[in-house]
Order: sequence, then structure tokens, then C-alpha cells
Amino acid sequence: MGSWQKLLIIMKLVIILLFTGILQIHAAAYSQNTYNFNEQRISVKQMFKKIEKAGKYTIFYRLDQVKLDQKVQINIKDATIDDVMKQVLQNQVLAFQVMGDIIVIKPLQDKNAADQTITGTVTDATNLPVPGVTIKLKGSTIAASTDAQGKYSITVPNANGVLVFTFLGFTTQEVPVNGQTVINIKLVEESKSLNEVVIVGYATQKKKDLTGAVTVVNMADLVKTPTSSINNQLQGQAAGVSVIGSGQPGQEPQVHIRGLNTFGNNTPLYVIDGVPTTDVSTLNPNDVENMQVLKDAGSASIYGSRASNGVIIITTKRGKGKVKIQYDAYYGSQVPKGGNVWHTLNPQETANLKREAEVNSGVTDFSDQQYGDGPTYVLPDYIAPAGAHNGDASVNPSLYYVNPFYTDPNDYNNFYRITKANKTGTDWFHEVFKTAPITSHNLSLSAGTDQGSYLFSLNYYNQQGTLIDTYEKRYTMRSNSQYNVSKHIRVGENLAYSVIDNPQVTINNPDAVIAHAFREQPIIPVYDIKGNYAGSDGPGLGDSANPVAIQQRTKNDKSLSYRLFGNAFAEADLIKSLTLRTSFGGELNSSTAHAFTYPTYENAENSSLNQYSESSTSGYDYTWTNTLSYHQVFGKNDIKALVGTEANRNGGSGLGGSRQNYYSFDPNYVNLSTGSAAGQSNYSYHSPSRSLFSYIGRIDYSYDDKYLLSGVIRRDGSSAFVSQYGWFPAISAGWRISQENFMKNISWISDLKLRGGYGVLGNQLNITSGNQFTNFSSAIGQSYYGINGTSIIPGYYESDKGNPAAKWEKDINSNVGIDATLFHDMVSVTIDYYRKDIRDLLFNPTLPGTYGDPNPPFVNIAKMKNTGIDASITGNFKIRNDFKINATLSLTTYNNKILKVATESNYFDDDFGRRVGTNLVRNQVGHSIGEFYGYKVVGFWNSQAEIDAANAKAQKATGDPSAVYETDMGVGRFKYADVNGDGVVTDADRTFLGNPNPKFSTGLNLGFNYKQWDFSIFLYGNFGNKVWNNVKYWRDFYSSFGTAKSYTALYDSWTPTHMNASAPIQELGGYFSTNGAANSYFIENGSYLRAKNTQIGYTFSSAVLKKISVQKLRVYLSAANLFTITKYSGVDPELPGTTTDFGVDEGTYSSSRTFLIGVNLSL
Amino acid sequence: MMNILNITNMKTSRYIIILMAFSMITVNYSCKKSYLETPQIGSLSPELLQTKAGVDGLLIGAYSALRAVKADGAAFGGADSWQASPDNWVYGGVAGGDAHKGSTAGDQGPIESIASFFPNASNPFFNTKWIADYEGITRCNNVIIAASKTPGYSAADLANIIGQARFLRGHYYFDLKKMFNNVPYIDETTPDPVQPNTTDIWPKIEADFLYAYNNLAATQPDVGRANKWAAGAYLAKTYLYEQKYASAKAIFDPVITQGQTAGGLAYALVAKFHDNFNAETKNNSESVFAIQAIANSDPGGITQSNDGDRLNYPYGTSSPFNCCSFYQPTVDLVNHFRTNSTTGLPYLDDFDTHAIKTDMGILSAADFTPDAGTIDPRLDWTVGRRGVPYLDWGLHPGNDWIRDQGYAGPYSPIKHVYTQAGQNTEGDQHSWGPGTAVNYNIIRFADVLLMAAEAEAQLGNLSKAEDYVNMVRNRAANPDGFVYKYADNSNPTGGYSTTPAANYLVKPYPDGNFAGNGLAYSLKAIYYERQVELAMEGHRFFDIVRWGIGDQALNAFFQYESKITTDITPGHFTKGKSEYYPIPQVQIDLMVKGGKSVLKQNPGYN
Repeated sequence: MGSWQKLLIIMKLVIILLFTGILQIHAAAYSQNTYNFNEQRISVKQMFKKIEKAGKYTIFYRLDQVKLDQKVQINIKDATIDDVMKQVLQNQVLAFQVMGDIIVIKPLQDKNAADQTITGTVTDATNLPVPGVTIKLKGSTIAASTDAQGKYSITVPNANGVLVFTFLGFTTQEVPVNGQTVINIKLVEESKSLNEVVIVGYATQKKKDLTGAVTVVNMADLVKTPTSSINNQLQGQAAGVSVIGSGQPGQEPQVHIRGLNTFGNNTPLYVIDGVPTTDVSTLNPNDVENMQVLKDAGSASIYGSRASNGVIIITTKRGKGKVKIQYDAYYGSQVPKGGNVWHTLNPQETANLKREAEVNSGVTDFSDQQYGDGPTYVLPDYIAPAGAHNGDASVNPSLYYVNPFYTDPNDYNNFYRITKANKTGTDWFHEVFKTAPITSHNLSLSAGTDQGSYLFSLNYYNQQGTLIDTYEKRYTMRSNSQYNVSKHIRVGENLAYSVIDNPQVTINNPDAVIAHAFREQPIIPVYDIKGNYAGSDGPGLGDSANPVAIQQRTKNDKSLSYRLFGNAFAEADLIKSLTLRTSFGGELNSSTAHAFTYPTYENAENSSLNQYSESSTSGYDYTWTNTLSYHQVFGKNDIKALVGTEANRNGGSGLGGSRQNYYSFDPNYVNLSTGSAAGQSNYSYHSPSRSLFSYIGRIDYSYDDKYLLSGVIRRDGSSAFVSQYGWFPAISAGWRISQENFMKNISWISDLKLRGGYGVLGNQLNITSGNQFTNFSSAIGQSYYGINGTSIIPGYYESDKGNPAAKWEKDINSNVGIDATLFHDMVSVTIDYYRKDIRDLLFNPTLPGTYGDPNPPFVNIAKMKNTGIDASITGNFKIRNDFKINATLSLTTYNNKILKVATESNYFDDDFGRRVGTNLVRNQVGHSIGEFYGYKVVGFWNSQAEIDAANAKAQKATGDPSAVYETDMGVGRFKYADVNGDGVVTDADRTFLGNPNPKFSTGLNLGFNYKQWDFSIFLYGNFGNKVWNNVKYWRDFYSSFGTAKSYTALYDSWTPTHMNASAPIQELGGYFSTNGAANSYFIENGSYLRAKNTQIGYTFSSAVLKKISVQKLRVYLSAANLFTITKYSGVDPELPGTTTDFGVDEGTYSSSRTFLIGVNLSL
Repeated sequence: MMNILNITNMKTSRYIIILMAFSMITVNYSCKKSYLETPQIGSLSPELLQTKAGVDGLLIGAYSALRAVKADGAAFGGADSWQASPDNWVYGGVAGGDAHKGSTAGDQGPIESIASFFPNASNPFFNTKWIADYEGITRCNNVIIAASKTPGYSAADLANIIGQARFLRGHYYFDLKKMFNNVPYIDETTPDPVQPNTTDIWPKIEADFLYAYNNLAATQPDVGRANKWAAGAYLAKTYLYEQKYASAKAIFDPVITQGQTAGGLAYALVAKFHDNFNAETKNNSESVFAIQAIANSDPGGITQSNDGDRLNYPYGTSSPFNCCSFYQPTVDLVNHFRTNSTTGLPYLDDFDTHAIKTDMGILSAADFTPDAGTIDPRLDWTVGRRGVPYLDWGLHPGNDWIRDQGYAGPYSPIKHVYTQAGQNTEGDQHSWGPGTAVNYNIIRFADVLLMAAEAEAQLGNLSKAEDYVNMVRNRAANPDGFVYKYADNSNPTGGYSTTPAANYLVKPYPDGNFAGNGLAYSLKAIYYERQVELAMEGHRFFDIVRWGIGDQALNAFFQYESKITTDITPGHFTKGKSEYYPIPQVQIDLMVKGGKSVLKQNPGYN
């Protein structure tokens, strides 16, 4: 044996030693060929030392195989090394092998003397015999198995071996013989969850082998929530994943994994059947077989530059076994909140409030165009003509003239409107929010054999929105197939095609339809006397628009999107352990939309424009992945390795146009050709294509199922950077403590694993593909000019400032976790602690104004940190054979901290409140993303004396005799905190008012199975976050634009006799000290607990069904959003927004209570 | 592949094939570096614009920045367009007492604090204005940079291009200077735009206008371009702001005597005052330099038709406009139009005691008779008031066209408003607020004359000053330029009668009046004339500050006006502070070098 060979063997052994620590190596090297020993009672261990000392040999052995303390007698002269070793190992079932200078001791393979027969019975936990159990003498080929009674008999060479009991589905047990002749064994069912196969980046792993932080989502729980969106279903179901959604059909929620990693796009990377994408809105949840969330670097770094926001791996279903037809359907009804949702005053109360505000503002002459000039305000019979009463000549219907489809402003100027007052009050909420149906039908056909498999599915989903004229109709079709061309070659495809028709409204916008619904006064009816729209046109009716009209006018608008998504793949096993896989996948998408803008006439602010616009887009995104994977088991060493390359490119284009001045608004007439050429406009664009090229490598090693090590690396190159490539490595390790001998006797711990990982992730979602370039552009609004005084000509302007120095953002990520399975799989627990440091965060901070107004480039400037804990605990309890309970509780926490924003400024503001003139949100170093910012209300000014005293103090503090403590002070108005203590309230006294990020969110799934009944409930809770309720701006202050007002304004506002009020004094004016500034009045606790889903089902007994060849039939009743417990005074505390601006209520599309009946049928 | 698997005993060749297949894939991509190089689409690199046509386009872009509009309703920087409206209706008009903010309380709250002089540095309006002017400056600098790199220009052509760019840059800096006083200066040679604001930029502004004055041609191929005489007028205006009266006069003289518009019309007052505010008569002989408003040219909005004025139309229960009752003239301003019934001269000191009758507190349904006293005819082309023809829109009905009379008074603006006959051509309905084809004159000849009058008066030439003022007053007195009653009130577009709409009377100052009353009187008369002639044109606040009379003029105004409306009750002009607006806090926070801001806040705002 050459020395290099020895070196090789030693290296191999050393590696094992490093990971396991149980081998001993001594490397002495003296040459001696014969041996003389005379030892009467020496331990094996000491004897080894003597051999090594005396000769050139190095002895390798495993501590768990050799009894080192056993005393032996050695009396030998001029013996060979073989003889010596035989003597030393005389009483042990061991063999040895001399390889050059190395002696390796291993268990004895062959039958030996001193045979002993052992018998016994193997039973399961319920004491029933288990036939077919394999009993093997450890380290040998000696084996037996149990008979039908669970009995066995095995003959072993001596009484010192170890028996190993194995049976599929049960935990392997090892029992030392220790001279026993009867060994009875109770086998424990093996943990299914531990052996669950989890798909990780480009590879699979058993759950027990995971070293990274991976949440495996329970799809059965997920699909209970009736929605088209897998993201919506994910809320509360996966520890570490936060989801903020709304009730609007088809509106994808905000999803973020482990906090907020960027100021920009925080969407995770989805990998569907190996194809990366950021859009899963077209995915049919029924098609999903499994879903796992990769949360840390150890698991996600393999996706390199796209993994910073976390990765969600989705695998779609494929056929298995016999031909199966599956039909799943539900039909239900979504019921919007009942009652006076916005606590709106009725028209008479509204009039009373107006009077009160006038009195408070010192008005003495009460003559109102609507309410008259009496001692109290009286509701008119008509609001148009203003203040008219029944019988007035002015309300003679023959005077009425409204042409809703007017094309000439002169026509409009001659309108004569007659509108009755709605004295009982229009309930605008329920005029726009109505009970709406929801239905889903899913049919799939599947089968699988040795030769391949197929699955074909169809889904029709139709959710009408509770807000009128919003809906989502989605048709999806999937075909997954695989052909096993030979034993070693597989080819296949996963393809899904979807068509979506989904008109949406803007939510949480103070000038969108929902806001108009709470702004429109209740005295305004929906329609006037002739059935045309009524509105705020007229004195004292505010300035909002009729929300019913807004929605009904969109009825004929259409927007359709089409998407083909999937991949084709081929796999070949080149040799047993080596597999080559190639996959080409991605998407082709397109969309078309058209809309007509009608002129309006009913509102205080109308538009006479009529315009038709049409647009279409198309796009592609492909990924070609090639991997070579290797898997080999060497004894206790299990090695998986993978290398690969990946190429990705995407791009798109769009075009559109519009025309105006239509002669007729008939939807069948209106198109781009029939409008006036005078108002035409058209555009097109081609998004610059964007590409990524990557090298991938991963290695997973496990030793003895006990010590796990995993390393991944990716090198990504992107077209968005000048210096294109970046490295993204990660390493993680796991230690299954429960596999250690000292833990094996703790029977209630089935599995216990410690994990840790560290690595680097990247993010490239935010950087634009042209970030490196300084560009000039041309646009009518921005750079054309009528230089000749009659017509405009194009000009150019600097549109983008480039930054060629941009490089990859880094998310340095560390994770420690613990996985435990307890009480024989009854309870499993996973807890992870993580820390993410985002460096070189790509952000486009505002440029100083002296640069002008080009789009600022992304620079590697900001820093952020997230820490948190994700945890989940699952329990499966079998109370009786026919009564089972399962429960899963998951917990998500994150603590986001901004460490740097830009070189220049340590903050940037968001959410400009047009009505208050300042921003509501400040993102500042030392705080979390999205914190609310403004003045802190500390009470009311209860008397003029109090105001005078404060001003006197302010004058003293500032030395300015005309100083005031606070602008616009007045009795009954807000008193703000002087945060910096300089005696006066200025901008500098604005402070952080609350954090919209929750302290924690949690989901609890509870399931009960009793005989053929099943019942489940899913509770979702979000705790410790604050909400900015800007709806109050419109409704709690009389002065806010004459909108509909709340009970608070009339009944709980400050008056001299009600100083302990919520809202300030009601006045005609809006002031800095009331609603004219962003202040803490609007901040509320946003915690809530919601029963997202409850379901009760009944499965018909199979005996009856088999006759009609039905395999399974289950029917169920279900309720979504059955109740929500919250202190929040608004409609719904779940308020999506953008990454840096969310939790602000400007009128949200709340989730509705939904009742469903459903069926699951298998043929 | 099939073959490979069948050759079971040729492991080596199998590996080779695998490696080959694998490396081909890799090599195919990684060798093609171009895979990661994607071109920019639909935009221009700076080099592509270094041609004559490119430079022309950049120069158009620099003119286009006069509008300060980025997209419909949005100013540069992205905030609302009216925050940077180039006619300065907020900063020069509302703040100067010409007008109330208008609308209702709380609507555009930041203007309330500007109007009452308790603005703070984080008021978003200032930041928008700041960005808008610097965007203009950036565009001018880009013209100069590109032009100097473009081959083939004759010296004259290059000077004409650079002259226009420098004229525009002078304008943008002038705007910044009068707003903020201390501002950083960035030109085509400044490598780093983070510059301090501690150096006075008047000399730089002078230099730009002087260059333009010396290099630009007297006429230009397009009426909208800056020419020699516009540059001269602006240069003289700069000197006037610097109180360099002799220098100012030296330029004003040739401008007045030889000046002509870019279109070649000799500078002269137009016969009818209102022709300055009429889309059909724009770019006339009085238009020294104007922002061109082209209505209905952008189907996507009113970006080309005075977007920043979109709020400033009568709005109420029966107004034919869609938005929004802002910029309502003050009662105090209207009172300035009272003339002495015998002399036809204004009440220079006690205008408010000769107040013009208002319809405050009177509903449109109730009767009201307009003031019968003598009134300067310019009033009814400047202010919409009840009972008087409002262009051809009909008699102003008072309250029904006012959003909140008690808050912001009974009047409506007129000067930028389009006619009913032209509502589809001169009006622009492509957005939620109206646009208009009426140009905004940055400088018009009447302005030049009144500025020249100031310079002359300051230099002791009172009779010359009086001549200039009287030119302006004589034009106002032209009966052809009066507002006349409609022939038929129910058909306002049907033409006018020959009866003046009010008792109009305006006369020139009698010969020697200025000289006889001395400098202080003359200046007062000139100032008064500016206020009346240029009312609602965005100059007032800057004039008051320039004259150093901010505290007297505005505090008197607050005292008078706040008894009539509720919007400006806390108003107070603080001498030494209120003359200039605060440097935007955001900019102070952004302009950091070495951990410290290079910008110094203006006095009184810390």
C-alpha cells in the first residue's frame, strides 16, 4: 500500500472523526514483525495502546462496536499481528483487517462459536403481534423474522451482540443480548412526519435530515379557506410567513417571510415545479400537492440572488395508482357586515351636527340652503333644488332635465336636477356592499403506473365581490404528465393555463370608491326622481361622488389575462447514483383590457370627458435549469451532491390607446376607431429583457442519521449590474441528539434535532434593469412644449440617473432551530430563532433637489436588521380508534429595524396625507419600517385660561412675546405634546405614534374526527400592531369636506359639558390643532383574532358507496370569517398597503363572512 | 441517451458524455457574455442627444420645465401640480394678500399656513417648488453641456442656444432667489450638486441674463422663445430687485424704446387690458415673456394648459366649472379698485374706507345690487363679483359659485379663466380640474413700464415715472376695454350691450403730480399701480418684500380682512423672518456632506 493510499484512508477516517468524534486515531509507526506479550488481565484499550506502541500499526475502530474495557488475557510469543489481534478480540463478535499499516476493526460477519438462541414476541403499542419483523444481529448477516404470531427465534454467535428489530413503518429498535435468551419487544410506530420527503432547492430531503429552516405547509388545512389565492390561504398556516390581505376577489395579499427585508418589493420567490416566479395568482390551490417555505440561508441560498425574501416551493399534483376521478366543489354566499357599519349619523342628526358646528364657530345667522332658517334645522323634501319642499313650483317634474350621456358642456350647463331628500338616510355601505355568491368546481383525472403518470385538472372559480361590480372569474386547466421511457429515463411536463377576468377597485385610497361610500352624505339618495344618479351636486352636500354610480359605470369594462405556466423536463439516471436533469419552464402571459370613462353630472365635482381606452400586454419569463445530482450511501455516510446551471430571462411589451368625444356611448359602438381623432393617444413599450445566469452547487452529508451537514453555493450573474456576478454561499448543520445512545432510553422523545445555519442571500427584485444608465426621455406631460404658441413639440429631459456601481445586495442570515418529535409522534415542535442583516440594501433614496427630478438610481446604501422567532407545535391525539384530534399552532414574530437609509438622510417619509399636508409614515433609522409619525395628542384645551397659561409659558421659554404654544389653539381642540421640551409645538415635536408591524401573529388549526364526522376550526390572530384609522378624518370632524359624519362627531365630541370626549369640538374650520395635522387621534390598536375558517364534514361509509363504485364521498358545511374579535373601531383591522406603508385605513375592502356547502367526491 | 444506458460496461465513456453535455450547456451561456447584457429600450443615452436636433429637443425640454409639470396634476417631484404652479399664485398671490386660498377650511391646509405666515420648513409646498426650479436648472445645464459637445454650430447659433438656456436658468434661479433668498448654485460646471447656500446668487443671475441679452437675437423663429429683449427686461428686473436703479434704467430704456417680442412686434401696451388674459390674443405686443398654454394638446391631462391653476375656478352649487373655488380675490384687493369719482385716481391710503360693496352673507337666491360707485375698470377683468358679467359665462351669481363664502370671501378669479364660447377649445377638460389656453405672462410690458417707473422714481426722475404709470392708466381708461353688460343676461354668449357693467372711472395722474408730491408719494402711487394692474398675477408678495413694506402692508391687510373671513385669523407677518420662505427641511436633511448639512436655514425658522 502506497503512502498516498494510507493518506487517503486516514483522510476518510479523519473526516468521519471530525463529524462524529467517536473514532480514535493513533498514528505511531515503528517497524516490528513479531510480537511478545504476557498480560494476565489487561483491558482491550490498553492492549491496543501496547500494540501501537510496539509496532507500525494504527488501529481504527468505532467506540460503539468495541468493548474497550473488557479484560483479556494475552500470552503470546513471536506471534504475528494477526494472532495478537485474534487474542485481543477473543470475546467479542468482531473481525479485523490489516491493510498495510492500518488495522480496522469491524463487526464479525460470519457465524462463530458459542452460539446462543434467542426467542421472543414482537408486538405493537396495542399489544397486537407484528408479523414479518426483521431481526438481525448487528454487524452481521444473521437474521430472522417474526411469524404470524409475532414470534421469532434467532441464533447468534455469542451472548454479547445487539439485536436490531426493523419493520416498515415502525421505529427500528436495538436490544443488546447481554446473555438473555428471551427478548420480547414492543415496536413503536415510526414517525411519518420525520420521513416525509421535503422538496428543497433542486433536491429532496427527508424532514428528519433538514438542517435549514423549512416550514412544510399542511395543504389539507390550506384549501379549506375559500379563495382563489394560495397566498390568501397561507395566512397563519406557516410559521414565519406574514400575510396581509383584503376581501377583494383576486387581490393578491402582501406576503412576507420573516419580516421586511427591503423598502421595495418584499415578495418571496415561488418555485412551482422547479420554475421560479413571483406571481402565483393563477395557481389553482387544488392542484397543489405540497408547499414548503424556505426561510433561512441554509435552505434558501441555493436560490441566491432571489432568495432574500424567502422562497416558497410548490409542487403540483401528479397521478398515482389506479385511475382516479376527483371532484371538489363548493358554493357559498359572502355576507358583508350588517348594521350601521360606519356608525353614520342619519340626515337629521347630520343637520343637528351642522348646527352645532355653526354654533361652536360663532355663527349667529342660521339660514341654510337645505335646512332653512328655523330655530332648528329641518330636513328638506328635496335636496335639488336645494331645500325645496313638496308642492314647490321648483320641483315640478316637467322642469327636470338631465342627459346622463351628454357630450356637450353646454348641454350639461342646462341641467335641471330634481332629487328627493332621503330623510331616513341612505345606507351607502349596503348600497355598494351586497351579499355575493362564491363557487368553485374542480375536476381532476389522474393515474400512475410504472410507465408513467398523468394528471389532468380543470377548475372554475367564480367569486362575486361583495362590492358591486367587482368579481373574479378564473378558469384554470392543468396537465401534468410523466413518461418513464425506460427504467432510467423519465420525461414529462407540468403545464397550467389560466384565464382570469378580474375587475378590481383601488382600496385604502381616500379618493377611491369605498372612501366615497363613507364620504357621501346619507341625505343623498342613490337616484334622482327620474332614475338618474343623484349626488353631492348642490349646497351643503359635500364633495364626494356617488359610489354606486362609480361602480355601475364600470360594468362594461373588461380586463382579461391569460397565462401559460409550466415546464418540460427530462431526467436520466446515468449510473445508479448519478442523475442528470434538465428542465425548461416559465411562462407566457398576455392581457387585454378596455374601459370607458363616462361623463359625470351628479357630483359636486364632475368631469365632462368621455373616453374609451384599450390596452394589451404580453410577456415571457423562461428558466432553463440543468443539474447533475449524485447520491451515494457508504456505510453510515450518506452523501448527496448537486451541481447545475440555470439561465433565466424575462421581458414584455404592451400597447394601448384611447380616444375621446364619442357620439354614442353604446358599448357595442364604442371602440378605438369610432372615437374622435382629436383626442386620440397611443403608446407602446418594450420592457428591456432581463437575464440571470447562475451556477449552483449543493452538498448534503449525513453520518449515521445523526450528524447532518449541508453546504450550498450559488453564483449569480445579472444583466442589471455592471459587475454582474455575486456569490451566495451558506452552510448549515444538524445534530439529531435523539440518535445518541444517551438519549435512546428517553422513550418520550422520538426525535430531537438541533440545527444551525449561516449564509448569504441576495435580492434583485427592486433594481430596475436599466439602473446603470443615465437616460433621457421624452413625454408629453413632462417635456413637450408649445414653443410656437399653437401646438406642442417634443423635448427631452433627463429621466433616470444611472448608477453603474450598483452591486448585489446581501442578506446575511443566521438561524438556529430545534425540531422535536415527542410521545411517539403525537406532538412535534419546531422553534427557530433567526437574524437577518441586510447590507448594501439596494434602495433609491430621494436625490437632493439640486439634481432636478430624474428617477434616482438604486444604490447599495441602506441597512436593515430583522430578528425573530418562528415556532409551531403540532399534536395528533387518538382518543379512541374512531375519535381523533389534531391541532397545529404556529407563531410568527419579527422585529424589523432600519439601520441606515442613505448617506444623507436618516429617514424617508411615506403616505402623503393630502388633506393634512404631511406624511403619515416615517421610515427612520432605529425604527421599524412603516411607523406612524405625527403629533401626539395629550388632551384637549379645556379652557381659555389653560391656553393663556400655555402661551405665557411658551413666551417665557422662547423669549418671543408673540409666541404661542401651538398653532390654532382653541378651546376644545387638541393639545399636542411638546416632545422636545422647547416650550412650543413645532415640526420638531412630531414623534413616532405607533408601529403597524405586529408583535406576533399566530394561527391555530384544530381538527376533530369522530366516526364519519369531521370538524375543524382555524383561528388566525395578529397582535400588538397599530392601525392608522384615517376614516376618522372624514367622519369625526365636521370640517372635513362636508362628508357623512359619525356618532362620535355628534355624541362624543368635546363640549363644555363633555370634556371627557373622544373627538375635539366640532367647528366649521379645520385646524392644525384638530384635523389639519397628522396626529395620534387616528392611531388605534389593530390586534385581532379571526375565525378564518370553520368546517364540519361528513364522510359516507364506503360499504354503501362501493356498490356504486364511489371511493369517497364527503359533504361539508363551512364558514369563513365567522367572527373577528378586535377593539379596532373600523370595518376591518387587516389593512394591506405597500412594504413601507401599510396598516392605514382609508376605506378597506373587508373580508366577508362566507357560508359554504361543499362536496369532495372520488371515483 | 438511450445508447448510453445500454452500454453498461462502459462507465468511462458515459461520464465523458455527461460532462460534455453539461459543459456544453454551461459554455453556451457563460461564453456568451451578451446573455447578461440587455440594451436599454425606449430611452436615450446622453451621447445620443449630442446632435443639433438633440440639443434643440433638450432646449424645448428646458422651456417645458417652465410649466413645472411632470404628469397630469403632478408637479416635478411628484406632488400636486399647484404646489409649484409657475404663476406663483400661492407664494406671490395668496401670500401677498391678493387672494384667499379659497375653497373650504382644511382643503390644502399647507396653503393656510403660508397665507398666514406660520409656515414651517416641512411644509411640502416649499419642497415641491424647490425641486421644480432645480429641475428647470438641470435641464438648462444639460442643454449647455450637450450643445458644447455638439459639433457643427456656428458661433451665433451656439450663442443663441446657450443664450436661451442661460435665460431660462436665470429665470429659475430668480424664482428661487425671491422665494428662498439663500440657495445653492449649480451650473453646467458643478460636479457635485450638493452645494452650500451661503453665497449670494444675484451676480450669477445677472450674468445669465446679461449673456442672454448680449447674445440672443431680437426675434426668434418661435414666439415662445426668449429673445434679446426678454432677457433685457429680466436683467433690468434683476437689477431692480438688487436696487441697482441706474443699471436697471440703463437696460429698461432700450427695452422700452426698441424692444420687440420674439415674434417681432414692437413692445406696446395692447389697447384692451383684457387682451393680456385672453387665449385668442396671446403673444401680443405686450407679452415680453410668457409660458405657452396649449389646451387640449395632451389627451392624458391638462399638463400643457396651466395645470397648476386647476383648482382656481369658480365652484359652487351651480358653477359650470369642475374645480374648486381656490384663489379667491380678497375684499382688500377689490377695495383697491375704488377710484375717486372726480379725479379717477385711487385712494392711495384709505382704500378700505371706500370699500366696494360685497355680497357677503347673501345667498344667490336673495337680491343684491352691485356697487354703484366709481370703480377702476380693470377690476372686472381681474375679479369675478356678483352681478357683473363673468366673461361670457353669465352674471356672477355670488354665493352659488363660491365654495365657502364665510371662509374665503365672495370673489372669484378671472385672469386665467377661459371663455364659455371657447370652453371646448380654450378650456381643457382632460382632467378633473379645468385647464386653460390663457398664457401666463412672466413679464408683460405693463410690468416693464411700472418697474421702469420705479427705477426712474428712485433715480429722481419723477415725471418720467409718472409718464410710465400714466401709460398704464391710460390704457386702463380705454372704454373699448371695459366690461359691458350682456345684451341678454340669459344668453351671455350672445354678445354685449353698450352699457358698461359698472360705474367705471380711471384717469391718469395729472401732469406733475408725482413731482409735486415727492418721492415717497410717487413710490406709493407706483406700488399701488402695480398692485392693481398686476393683481392676481403672482407678483404681489415678492414686490412687497422687495419694497421692504411686508409688515406694514400685510399686517394691515390681516387686520382688515380677518374681520371679513375666517381663513386668515392667525395671520401675522414677522419682519426679519417672513420675507423669505424656509429652506425645505427635506432638502436640509438630504444635502449632507461629512455628516453635516451644507444648507443653512433662513432666519427665524429654526
